[in-house]
Amino acid sequence: MRGTVVSWLLAAPLALVLAVFLVVPLVVLVAVSFYDYDSFRLIPDFVFTNYIEVFGSPVTWRTYAKTFWFAGITWAITLMLGFWIAYYLAFVVEGTGRRTLLFLLCTIPFWTSNLIRMIAWVPFLGRNGLLNQALLGAGVIDQPLEFLLFSDFAVVLAFVHLYTLFMVVPIFNTMMRIDRQLIEAAVDAGADFWRVLRHVIIPLCKPGIAIGSIFVIVLVMGDFVTVRLMSGGQSASVGLMISNQISLLQYPAAAANAVVLLAVVLLMVAAILRAIDIRKEL
Amino acid sequence: MPGRFGRGLLTTLFGAFVLFLYGPTLTIMVLSFQGPDGGLTFPMNGVSLHWFGRLFEQQAVGDFGASVTRSLILAALVTAATVVISLSAGMAFRRRFTGSALLFYLTISSLILPSILVGLGIGLSFNQAELEPSWWGSALGAQLTWTLPFGLLIMLAVFNRFDHAWEEAARDLGATSWQSFAHVVLPIVAPSVIGIALFGFTLSFDEFARTLLTAGTDNTLPLEILGMTTTVTTPVLYALGSMSTLLSFLVIGLALLGLLRYRARA
Amino acid sequence: MKDQSLPGRTSLTRRGALALAGAAVGSGAVTGFPTIWAQNIRNITLRQAGTGVSGLNAIAEQCKKDTGITLQLTVMDTDALAQRAATQPRSFDIADIEYMTTKKVYPVGTMQAIERRRITHADKIVPIFTTGRLTPASAIAQGTAPHTVGFVANRLATAFEPSQTEWMTLIPTIYNADTLGIRPDLINRPITNWKDLVDPAFRGKASIVNVPNIGIMDAAMVMESAGQAPYADKGNMTRAEIDRTTAFLIDLKRQGHFRAFWKTFDESVNLMASGEVIIQSMWSPAVAAVRSRGIACTYQPLAEGYRAWGGGLGIARHVSGLQLDAAYEYLNWYLSGWTGAYLNRQGYYSAVLETAKAQMSPAEWDFWMEGKPAATDILAPDGRVMERAGAVRDGGSFTERMGKVACWNSVMNEERYMVQKWNEFIAA
Repeated sequence: MRGTVVSWLLAAPLALVLAVFLVVPLVVLVAVSFYDYDSFRLIPDFVFTNYIEVFGSPVTWRTYAKTFWFAGITWAITLMLGFWIAYYLAFVVEGTGRRTLLFLLCTIPFWTSNLIRMIAWVPFLGRNGLLNQALLGAGVIDQPLEFLLFSDFAVVLAFVHLYTLFMVVPIFNTMMRIDRQLIEAAVDAGADFWRVLRHVIIPLCKPGIAIGSIFVIVLVMGDFVTVRLMSGGQSASVGLMISNQISLLQYPAAAANAVVLLAVVLLMVAAILRAIDIRKEL
Repeated sequence: MPGRFGRGLLTTLFGAFVLFLYGPTLTIMVLSFQGPDGGLTFPMNGVSLHWFGRLFEQQAVGDFGASVTRSLILAALVTAATVVISLSAGMAFRRRFTGSALLFYLTISSLILPSILVGLGIGLSFNQAELEPSWWGSALGAQLTWTLPFGLLIMLAVFNRFDHAWEEAARDLGATSWQSFAHVVLPIVAPSVIGIALFGFTLSFDEFARTLLTAGTDNTLPLEILGMTTTVTTPVLYALGSMSTLLSFLVIGLALLGLLRYRARA
Repeated sequence: MKDQSLPGRTSLTRRGALALAGAAVGSGAVTGFPTIWAQNIRNITLRQAGTGVSGLNAIAEQCKKDTGITLQLTVMDTDALAQRAATQPRSFDIADIEYMTTKKVYPVGTMQAIERRRITHADKIVPIFTTGRLTPASAIAQGTAPHTVGFVANRLATAFEPSQTEWMTLIPTIYNADTLGIRPDLINRPITNWKDLVDPAFRGKASIVNVPNIGIMDAAMVMESAGQAPYADKGNMTRAEIDRTTAFLIDLKRQGHFRAFWKTFDESVNLMASGEVIIQSMWSPAVAAVRSRGIACTYQPLAEGYRAWGGGLGIARHVSGLQLDAAYEYLNWYLSGWTGAYLNRQGYYSAVLETAKAQMSPAEWDFWMEGKPAATDILAPDGRVMERAGAVRDGGSFTERMGKVACWNSVMNEERYMVQKWNEFIAA
């Protein structure tokens, strides 16, 4: 029993922070999701109207479909890209110092406020932007490419930009924990690069892949800023729908939507964890 | 291991990725040299250092100095708390305990809940409890609900592949729990701890959706910038971006230099 | 779990009673207007929450100089401001908000009404804010006209009164009329009506506001202009009207008519300046901001008139005693001319014209307010030349602009339904 007590003590700070700053707001949220409201007031009540509106509206389904679509594409791209970047950092680059340096190099752009970076996408991808100018100058195109900005392409591009590192870091961490002797043994046994990758590295990276996937999927599913700015307000996402309701102080509708979103994403995470149990060997 | 060609390919991929990451940063850099009559988009309207000068003067709206200071202090607090709490929780999660699954899913929920709603909920709770929301109180807590899931998940990935044999060996040699933690566990997980600190700092410094309704009277930097975009904005914003990038490079360069010196002497 | 999202009712009443007592004592000290710039007011700090539109550092500086009151400004976007005003009244003393927002926030009970007789220039406030009519002959525009949410029965009442009372929800400070902004260098035909926004010639180069209750009004202006059945009230549509309007918007969106929607001032400027958009609904100062970058941009008056908005200062309910006196002092100072002139020079309008006029040069007044050609160069607040001598302001004089308001930014009774439809439009 001593072990359990120690575990509890070690987990207590986390539990405490979450209790105060997550459970309390969450309880408020769930309660409010059953409130009634009109244009000017919240009416404390216990009604299911908000949920009926969420599930009864084709808009909800369409918006979820779009959000899943964004999440799926972003996940696939960040996984492919993130895996190889992590592989590069773990197995090609040598020395902790050099790795740290490269990680820092990748982090620096994110120390400029995202709001400023988001503004900068317009002059980067826009009609008269850097990229179009460069392509025009190189003679690759003779008309500026319009789809680069304010499109689904732009949204996915920004997601990949923002979230690839969230995939890289956990995969890299698990790669670094792989016993190098294991790989050498496999190579000595005559396994080629792809066989080592398939039978040694990828299986051992699964927890990292799972965690990276959780990060990316969860971030995309809850996003409301990137989708609005990069699509020029023309693409929907669940987060955006919620934020529209909040901005008009329609808290019950927003809360009901958020409860549904929470349930959906928790199911997705549970599915990922069912496929790969990251706590298997704890 | 990949052959020479594979390595070259991966290096190219990494180079392209870094270039992609710096795309907006480069745009910001170029446009921060706009002429005094220039705007936030192309075309350039002359070339000047005007906006770097303006950065240190009083703005028409908002205050960079005060909000940057607040954001840096807040990010430092969040980083420290994130590292300590997730390391400790990571240790706890190495064995199953009653309530561990609940705590795990709660942590994941923290990541999933739309940020604006977390902020709204905390703001409402504070108001209900007649507490004054502040950037160093309610906003600190709100940001922790954001950084802790990342910290914990990274810790889980690390401890997942952690060999218990080392600790057992330490204990066999008569080390106390604390000694085995400080001398065996910590050095092994140190790189990941640095990773978590980096994550914590970056996430906090740039956080705005959760801070928006929890910061109280004083704005953090992202909130100040958001406020500024409600009126005429100027390339001063880009000058700020260029400056922070430049400063980051400078700080990291100096740290590196110090490290090399230290190693040379050691 | 009762009443979670609104401030605790019991605590408010208690607080309210205290504040009431404080106000009674306080007002005794300041009878005898004009106010004595009381020495002890000089040490008071007022925390003001608002957007960047009027949360200007120059105003705080001048206020300190003239009254000694320290004005601590916090700027945020309109959405965050509404949330804070409704749910975190403790985080500010003065709210600098729009009348449209007031319609939602004031009934929550986080603010206190302002006593008209303690406002020195109350009688000189532009009648738009008191009767809704610019001149006795003009009609009241559609939407949430400021005077409809401008008055309550007493200090703590939360229900709006249809006509003027002694208690004001906000002291009006700033307002303007929005219309289409265009890039005349990229559009080579005259733009005269709202319907020109949806001319297929501008496909992929048009934009409207991405704020549901305002964007839908832009669309309604276009539809009326295009000859579709007129709305009874564009600012308060019926469900059928909302359906019709969103169907129209969805159709346009499917054709790829819009390049992007803008939400903040800054976005509207960047869209226009970068050439991503060449025609969109716009604020007058945003047009000026594009032009100040050497890019041609016109604030285009249209036959159907303008969509207008107004904002003002309100006092949080917790403010009492000396601080309340300071708040009144500040409000009186705000209307006393300097700020009015400062805002007028940026292309906005101030609520008391007479006092602002006294602080502007005749050339400035003629240019900004009378619609006359500039007699001298017109300077921006930072001293740069904004318009050369001889220039004429787009849209003409104050009366021409504010006299042609078709509707005010609004909160609809059917807002719940409207947001669902707006989300449908975004998802289409």
